[in-house]
Amino acid sequence: MLILECPCCGVKAEETELTPGGEAHLKRCGPGSTDDEFDGYMFARANPRGVHFERWRHAYGCGKWFLAARCTATLEVFGTYPAQSKQPPAELQAKIKARRPGWEGWT
Amino acid sequence: MSRAVSALEGASHKGFVEVAEAGLVGMITLRGDLSSAKMKAAVKAATGTAIPAPRRIVTEGDRAAAWMSPDELLILVPYAEAPATVAALDAALAGEHHLAADVSDARAVFRVRGAKADEALMKLCPVDFATLEAGEIRRTRAAQVAAAFWRSAGDEFTLVSFRSVAGYVMGLLEVSSRTGSELFPA
Amino acid sequence: MAMKRYSVFAIAREAMSYHMGWERAWRSPAPKRKYDAVIVGAGGHGLATAYYLGKNHGLTNVAIIEKGWLGGGNTGRNTTIIRSNYLQDPSAAIYEKARSLYETMSQDLNYNVMFSPRGLLMLGQTEHEVRGYKRTVYANNLQGVSTEWISPRRVKELVPIINIDGPRYPVLGALYQARGGTARHDAVAWGYARACSAMGMDVIQQCEVTGVRTEAGRVIGIDTTRGAIDCDKLGMVVAGHSSVLAEMAGFRLPIESLALQALVSEPIKPCMDVVVMANTVHGYMSQSDKGEMVIGGGTDGFNNYTQRGSFHHIEETVRALIETFPMISRLKMLRQWGGIVDMTGDRSPLISKTPVEGIFVNCGWGTGGFKAIPGSGWAMAELMARGASPLAEEFSMYRFREGKFIDESVAAGVAH
Repeated sequence: MLILECPCCGVKAEETELTPGGEAHLKRCGPGSTDDEFDGYMFARANPRGVHFERWRHAYGCGKWFLAARCTATLEVFGTYPAQSKQPPAELQAKIKARRPGWEGWT
Repeated sequence: MSRAVSALEGASHKGFVEVAEAGLVGMITLRGDLSSAKMKAAVKAATGTAIPAPRRIVTEGDRAAAWMSPDELLILVPYAEAPATVAALDAALAGEHHLAADVSDARAVFRVRGAKADEALMKLCPVDFATLEAGEIRRTRAAQVAAAFWRSAGDEFTLVSFRSVAGYVMGLLEVSSRTGSELFPA
Repeated sequence: MAMKRYSVFAIAREAMSYHMGWERAWRSPAPKRKYDAVIVGAGGHGLATAYYLGKNHGLTNVAIIEKGWLGGGNTGRNTTIIRSNYLQDPSAAIYEKARSLYETMSQDLNYNVMFSPRGLLMLGQTEHEVRGYKRTVYANNLQGVSTEWISPRRVKELVPIINIDGPRYPVLGALYQARGGTARHDAVAWGYARACSAMGMDVIQQCEVTGVRTEAGRVIGIDTTRGAIDCDKLGMVVAGHSSVLAEMAGFRLPIESLALQALVSEPIKPCMDVVVMANTVHGYMSQSDKGEMVIGGGTDGFNNYTQRGSFHHIEETVRALIETFPMISRLKMLRQWGGIVDMTGDRSPLISKTPVEGIFVNCGWGTGGFKAIPGSGWAMAELMARGASPLAEEFSMYRFREGKFIDESVAAGVAH
């Protein structure tokens, strides 16, 4: 089972306490963006086989959103971090690089 | 005035532990900045306690304050005093963005009592009971519904759910506490 | 190279020589340096694409590249349901094309795929669902797809083990497709692979694509773990791994890959001879020829490529079905697994050209790929050979930016 530690309340929550929320750090393109940009924001996804940054909500707990770094192939969880983060924290990126030397890094 | 009733009016079952609906309990949802001076004073006046640490419930007699999320507390008081407590909280927090709502009638409260009370809940909640800390309130799910519980006495857990699923929760507790279904016999 | 036809005469003939004369069903050649067309993915869809490239368009200088063993992806992991009761016209056309090709597939491929048109029911267990499925029946009848709405009593006649009087989810009727049913999933892959091999196509297994080579916006070939292979046309037919391949070619797809899990019970005596889908509660069930109850539910909520089951899914899926099929509460569940389903926002596939000329993609079938295999291959082959296919026209990857969704979230069953 997948266990994610909620950074808002500290609970090591099992996946059935959580609601998944899709890819994190999407660049929102609204009015004023091109059709390509809007299409990319709405529909195109990285969907990697490997390191993935994603949103989760602690639905049966404190109710807050948070972000997580997880491997989509092995379900290894690298870490969780606040929803307000504009990018994964530097220490988390370093930890992922140490665990996955082949990872191309955060772009 | 109408006669207030709890969801199951104190219904109970006896298995390898005893499960009982706790009747009318006053509950207030309090949202706001938990670190503000006004908030500390308001909670102290309402319950006699300090602001609880994350995931802790602090009790003073028949009142308590429980941490629900970084910006939310659950205030427990005798049922009849809930409306007055809400008014007092609103007055104390005037000028600060906050929410004080009487949710007493929107909830159901259960007591699970006995040496193996934790085993009855283990079957329902994806919680590692071995790592529960003293004074911890744990929000989770019980089978298919949201629930929160804490150890209210040496051999007793108190569990809170939404009122609309009280019958379902009582069913869960009754089935999971049936004699002969202990997880770790003897 | 003509393959020896399977037939009762072949069995009799081979019996005379102690069955030592049977040939391997497909060759395992080393890859050539170049093919006219390369299909990546030797699942049902990829093999069917190659087969129809040969059969319908005379294009046989084709390789089908597979990183694992053929049919080892979603083709070998699904719950084998065949139906065509979708709502939108483009969907009805391609799924009914597929279903009708299943009717004659064993004869066409000279391989027994055990097509069993035993009948399929989609239960209406809420008023809302009843309205939705009746609407689908009306649409199907306009589309030339043969489905009907049946009463609870008729449901009980077709499914004796069903409980139609459930307190929470009573059976208010069902959408019934009499010529829907199942087939043996592995046999479909094997049948197409044998036929492709016999046409001279190379099925190359244990060969993983590591890169896609392009020049001036056009594909020129792929790099693999067994060397470089050049091609004029490249078909990407790898379901859950489509984003991985697309990324090598420099574009993104509007899909997310999730696990879809299934489980089987211990074998029991025949008790159900139709397929039943209970979409309000997210569960569906049929009985295999071995007697196992084959049970499936909804997808995982988060992206994953694990191809395995998780414990809470057993509880959630079986719990969903117990009110409607009380007897399953007594069954031991034997085995659980998962596939990687690529989901689009409108729950309809992508059969499409891509930003790279010469590269075509066929994916996004989500939880409904098996039923579509022959129709999908037929359309994809036409698209690759001719540059357009009426069956594939509405399933372009560019439909999203224009808001031209083919919304099948209802008809796709448990896909949501």
